[in-house]
Formats: sequence, C-alpha cells, structure tokens
Amino acid sequence: MVTGKINHTEILSVAEAGLSKTKQIYQDRTRRVKELKAEGKKVIGYLDIYPVLEMLTALDLVPYRILGDMREPITKADTCLPTVVCPFLRSVMDLGLKGKYNFLDGVVMAHGCEVSEKTAHIWRTYLNPSYAHFIDTPHTTHAAAQRQHKELLKDFKRTLESFTGKELSIEKLKEAIKIHNEQRALVRELYDLKKPDPPLISGVETLQVMVALASLPVAEGNELLRQVISEVKQRKDGPAKKPARLLVWGSIIDDIALIDMMESIGADVVMDDTVLGSRAYFSPVALTADPLDGLAHRYLVELKSPRTFRETVLSETKRKDYMTDLENRFGYLKDYAREWKVNGVILQALRYCDIHGYEVPGLKDYLASIGLPSIYLEHDYSEAALAQLRTRVQAFLEVIS
Amino acid sequence: MADGEKKRAINRLKTMYPLRALVDGMYERAVEASKEGKPVAWCMVNWWGGDAVLRAMEVAAIYPEDYGAVCAAFGTAPTYLAQSDSDGFPSHMCGYARNCLGYAARMKDLGEIPPEAPMGGMPKPTLLLSSGYFCDTRYKWFQALGRYLDAPVWVLEMPHPGVKESRMEGVREHNIKFLVEELREFIAFLENLLGKKMDRDRLAEIIDDTIEMNRVWHEVNELRKARPCPMHSRDFWSSMPASLYMAADPKVTADLYRQMYDEAKSMVDNHIGAVEEEKYRLAFAELPPWHSLGFFNQLAERGWNFVIESWAYHPPKPIDLSKVSDPLERVANLTYQYFSGYFEDAFNTGDWWGYFAHPYLEFVREYQCDGIMLHPLLTCRTATNHLMVVQDQLMTKLKVPSLIIEGDIVDLNLFDPADALRKAETFEETMSHYQKVRKEAGLAW
Ligand code: SF4
Ligand code: SF4
Repeated sequence: MVTGKINHTEILSVAEAGLSKTKQIYQDRTRRVKELKAEGKKVIGYLDIYPVLEMLTALDLVPYRILGDMREPITKADTCLPTVVCPFLRSVMDLGLKGKYNFLDGVVMAHGCEVSEKTAHIWRTYLNPSYAHFIDTPHTTHAAAQRQHKELLKDFKRTLESFTGKELSIEKLKEAIKIHNEQRALVRELYDLKKPDPPLISGVETLQVMVALASLPVAEGNELLRQVISEVKQRKDGPAKKPARLLVWGSIIDDIALIDMMESIGADVVMDDTVLGSRAYFSPVALTADPLDGLAHRYLVELKSPRTFRETVLSETKRKDYMTDLENRFGYLKDYAREWKVNGVILQALRYCDIHGYEVPGLKDYLASIGLPSIYLEHDYSEAALAQLRTRVQAFLEVIS
Repeated sequence: MADGEKKRAINRLKTMYPLRALVDGMYERAVEASKEGKPVAWCMVNWWGGDAVLRAMEVAAIYPEDYGAVCAAFGTAPTYLAQSDSDGFPSHMCGYARNCLGYAARMKDLGEIPPEAPMGGMPKPTLLLSSGYFCDTRYKWFQALGRYLDAPVWVLEMPHPGVKESRMEGVREHNIKFLVEELREFIAFLENLLGKKMDRDRLAEIIDDTIEMNRVWHEVNELRKARPCPMHSRDFWSSMPASLYMAADPKVTADLYRQMYDEAKSMVDNHIGAVEEEKYRLAFAELPPWHSLGFFNQLAERGWNFVIESWAYHPPKPIDLSKVSDPLERVANLTYQYFSGYFEDAFNTGDWWGYFAHPYLEFVREYQCDGIMLHPLLTCRTATNHLMVVQDQLMTKLKVPSLIIEGDIVDLNLFDPADALRKAETFEETMSHYQKVRKEAGLAW
C-alpha cells in the first residue's frame, strides 16, 4: 500500500507494478489465494456472475472465480457432461475432476443457465466440497421473482453462517457492498481509459486485469486496479491507434487468445459485453436499509445478461413492437458504442450456448438499425478454432476499416 | 401419424386414438378460434398452472413443442429448419425451436398460415406463454419469435427444487408461494391484455379436473408394470401430450384416460401384451425420434417391448391436496410435486447431480426392465445432460445395460435407423447376459 507522502518516482515504481502484476496473476491465478489459505483464510469458488459475492466477503471468505482452461484438453469431463453442452463448462468440470480446484474450501453456484445449473450439482456430487450452495436465481424480473430471489439469498445466508459459525450482520454486509461497489467504480474508471483513440489500455491487458480481479480478495483487487489505472494514465507506450475499434459481445472469454488475435490484425478491442468484463461490473448495488434488498435487486434486475428475460412495455394496442423490444434489451450497447466510439461489433458465442445463440439474429438486427456493422463467430473454446476465426475477423475488419 | 400397416408389430391401444385426436385437433380448434377473433396462445409446457388460467380465460392454447414433433412426423420440418438456419439462428439449438422460428418466419412472409403446414397449422398468436423451468430455450425461443410476431411474451417462473437447498426448512413454503404469486401476476397480465376478468369458479373447476386427470393417467401407467406390459411407449407418446399440453378440457381428457385404464386393465387381466412375445422389457430416455417411429415396430417384431419412458413426460406422482383449498395453491402444489416428487429417492441418498437421472433407477426396478435405450439429442441439452449418469447408475446399481442411439427430435439427418437397428441386434446379447448377472446378484428380474 502507498502511504504518506511519496515522490513521483516512487509512485511510478509502485504503479508500474500494476500491469506486470496482473500478468503474473493471470498466468498463475492461484498463488495469492493459496498464500491466503496458508494464513488460515477460507477460499470459496464461484461460477458466473450470479453468486452474491458480497455475502462471502462480509464473512471474510475469499471469493475465487472458477474459470476454464481452453489450452488444456478435456480428458475427464466426458464421464459426466456430454459433448453437446457448453465447452467452457466442460472445461471447468474437467479441471475440477483433475484436482485443479482442490484448494477451494467450498463453492457457490447459481442458475446462470441450464447447464451451469447442472454443473453445480455435478460439481458437488463428484468433488464433494465441504461447503456447496446453489442459488436458484429466477429468470425474470417479475415482482414475485424478486421476492423469491431475496428468499433465496436468505437461504444462502443461513448455509454460510452455519459453514463459518459466524453471524452475517447487516453492518458487515453493508461494508462488503461498499467495497464491492468501489471495485465496480474502479473498473468503470479503467474502462474510461479505453475511450480515447488510441485507447490507453488494450483489450488483452484489460482481460488480464479482469482475470486478476477474479483471483483476488476484493480489497486487494481494488488496490491492484488503482495501481493499474495510475500506471496506464502515465505510460507512454500504450496501444497504437488502429482503424477498427471493436465491441466484443457474448459468451465468456477467459483467455486472451481471442482478443489478442483481433488486436494483432488491426483492431483495438475497446469495449466488451461479456461476463468477465463490463457485464460483471457495470451495475452497482444500491445501499438499502436491508442490504439483501439491494443485493437481490442488483443481481436479478440490474445485471444485464440475456439469461434474464425482460419483456418490453406493450404499445397501446397491447402488441409488442420488435424494434422497441430490441431497444429495451440491447439499448445499453448503443450507449457503449457511442461512448467508446465503436465502429464494429463482434458477436461471439460458444457452441451449444443457447443463452447467447438465440440473441444473435435479433442483436444483429438491432446493431444494423443503429448503423453498426457486426459479425457473428461461433467457436468451441479451443485454440484450434482461432485460425479460422482469424480469417473471418480479418475480412470483417477490411469492411469496417 | 402413419400407424396403419405396422399395427401387427405393436398392439396399439384403441383408446389411444381419441387421446391423440384430442391433441391433433387443437390446431384446427385454434385456427377456428382465431377466425372467430378469439385469443390464441402459443405455449410452452408449463405443468398445468398456466394452462388452467388460459382455459379459464377462454384462450385457445397450442404448443409449438408438440407442433415440432408433428412437423417432424409429417416431414415438413426440414423446410422450417432451413429457414431458421438462413435467418442466422445457430443450428445447434433446439430442433423444436428452430422448426417454430422457421415456421413463424414463413408465416410472416406469406401473411398467413403456410399452406404446407400440417394439421391446419398454428394461427397467429395473441400471446406467447413461456416457462422458466428446465431449459433456457423455453423462454429464449419465444423471445426470439419477436422477430416475426408481435405477440407479447409472458414467462411463467418456476423454481428448480430437485436439489439439496430445496430440503432446507421453509424452502418448500417459499417455493410454493413463488409459484402462486407467479400465477397471480400472470392472471393480472392476461386480464389486462384481454380486457376481461377471469372466472375464478371456472378456474377452480379446471384445476380440480386437472388434478384428477393426472391421477387417472398415473394409474394407467401403473398398469404397465404387468408382464406382459399392455402399453408400448408408442402409445404413451401418442397419449401423453393430452395431459402435458392440456389440449382439451381436462374433464374430457380424464374420461379418455379412464377408458384407456379400462382397456389396459382388461389386457392385463387377460395377459395380453403390447407386443406378441415380450422377450425384452425396455425403458426409453428421453424424447423419441418422431420422424422415425417405425423403428420401434421393427424392434417390436424382435420381441422388444418399451414399457416405461422418461419421468419428465409422466404425470406427477399422486399427492393428497384435499387440505389445500385455494385453487392456485392446489395447482402450485401439483406442479411442485411434478418438480420434486420423482426425486425423493435422490434426496434421500444425497444424489444431487443424479436427481434428474435418479427416477430411471426407480422406473427400471419397478417396471423390471432388461435395458434402456438412451437417445441423446444433439440440439436439446435438457434431455441429454444426465444420460451418462443414467447409464452409469443403472449398470452400477441394477446391472441394467444401456443402448445409446444418437439423434434428434426433429432433424432426421441426425438419426440413422439402419445403424440403430444393427446396434439393437447386438444389444440383445448384452441384455440376455445381464439377465443372468442380475439373477446371480439376487435381483428380482
Ligand atoms: S457460455 Fe453460455 S452455456 Fe456456457 S456457461 Fe455461459 S451462458 Fe452457460
Ligand atoms: S427441453 Fe429440449 S426440446 Fe424442449 S424446448 Fe428445451 S431444448 Fe427444446
């Protein structure tokens, strides 16, 4: 931590630790949590963006995001997940079965999508963690669904309290919300650095930061973000100006390879709408008298993901207007495109990802209606797919640049 | 469907035909209703609550999932699948959904029901009723239909109670409350959309009839434990949509199931089976290849009787609801029983992943099956996720082997009947082998 009065050189040297540190963490995600474990902390794995992390932080548990590894061949998961489901989740399960997540003291998973729900149960059956909780996050924002979601968080609170033997007090929860909100604000600040042309931080570096955040306790993540932001603002060797400024939308990207490919052929990935990027961070939690209200609302209503159904307000004739519906579902992407001066959108989804697959024609219609060219890429979470994708992206960049 | 000349291989129940006709007729009834200016809903299976509300509001309900099976059986599905593909929907997605998206695209282009549409087609809907249970497609599909239809979508929310957390104190209560509140919100939406109030007495009556219909249908399936089994899966698949889709007044459907019970009972009493000589008793998981049902006739000629199938298409196990007076609570409890009643055994053994697979253990044991045919579907995650666990558990715990035949519900290119038949022939030896193994292990069959 930087404390007291320090000179410019000191700031620079501390700040410089930011990006190189994120790279290190990106390459070895587990180092810090293993240290923390050695100090007696408990580490809880979580999948996707629906587990309510504030409740872990409030109990001094370390949240650690479970990711896959597209470079590791799947050799074990075939026994419990068929080949026709999300390859990311198959990779996750494969790593679990290979013991790569054995250091976790428990897991919390939620109903992100159909197969992630099944993965939650497979994980607990096959890996038998000493703590496992599943949150059956509803799929709509109906009033009843919001009430149900709060009930589900109360259930989660009960199992956490019994696991830790501690009470999850309102005060601790409010504190945790503040510190998580701080992280969200810092991520916004980081993303603001991608608005200039050229951006001050590349898409690859951004993803490395996001993976690092998913591997650290929230307070340490905040510190890292401050360091990165400070370094990025001051450095002179940021990304070069490129003809294409891309927004990447879709399924999870937890490896830099795909973004790196795009940035190596004439594009800056300046904005994203994925679960390791803006989608996970751009909505803060409202501080409500009962903090569970703010949390239940944020994780169900505020998070913008195609897995949560939002019906459009009907016209006077009580019919649905297609373009109004698209605006209602995807309007925030127009804001992203304007603010980050995007001139092309890459829609990408993992094969067998229904949640994102159904969005594609509608989202393409929407982007066309606001004059943004787009391309859809489907891939199978493997390095082998990159060569073919590269050709398609190249052709797209030629059109938009 | 063309059952005609294959009748000899499988003894079809006569009482199946009116049940199938009831479902087939729903399309024509909906077209009529639409012509008369009455509201029409396209619905996902919603396990009765939403169906009852629609019926009480006099909305004609039709079910595009069933229509996917119809289009597969009539051979019109490829046209619609191709349309969906060319509109940019990824081809790995649900065959029923892609069939429907293609159908809707064509209907929009033509401005009317496509002329080739089987069974009179599906008329333009007033609303779409989705469901939040079981699979992502069940609501993403209807949302995606917005590209072709201006009908509003309502997603009926449901909990997934087959897991450890649902056993915690108070969870059943808040889950039931959630189901009831969801139905209330749906009623409010519908009353606003249609500009009229729902007849609550009529709703109560429909719900009571629904509970009774499911009870009778359950009794029919209980009869299939007999040796030889009087009802083949083909009859089950033809008859189950009447319950699953609430295609008609549940009172009428309950009567038809009662007649089916009588017919099956008399077969049991007279030792008449659905196949001439029942050599092998099989279970089937999950949805069948609707486009190639003749395949089962070929197996029947070899003495294969399919005596039970996926729990997910069966009615809930009967539950005493006599102390629940509020109609919405009654139907919520029925739905919840469907979501949780089959998993009791899984709960008791802590088999949290296998909860979806677990009912097969019970079925295979109770219906004394020699094997199970697993049908992984390339485009349906929900029906495929758990099949490896089914295979593993049946072999480990009951010494019952699995025959895996890959395919799809709609896309006939993904199913190879000749290859399937070859595999089936070899599988007979496996089944015979495990009959001995079970005997040695002291199992009952
Ligand atoms: S990529 Fe799609 S299928 Fe995979 S976990 Fe995410 S939402 Fe689910
Ligand atoms: S359960 Fe399978 S067949 Fe039914 S809607 Fe979902 S994906 Fe399609």
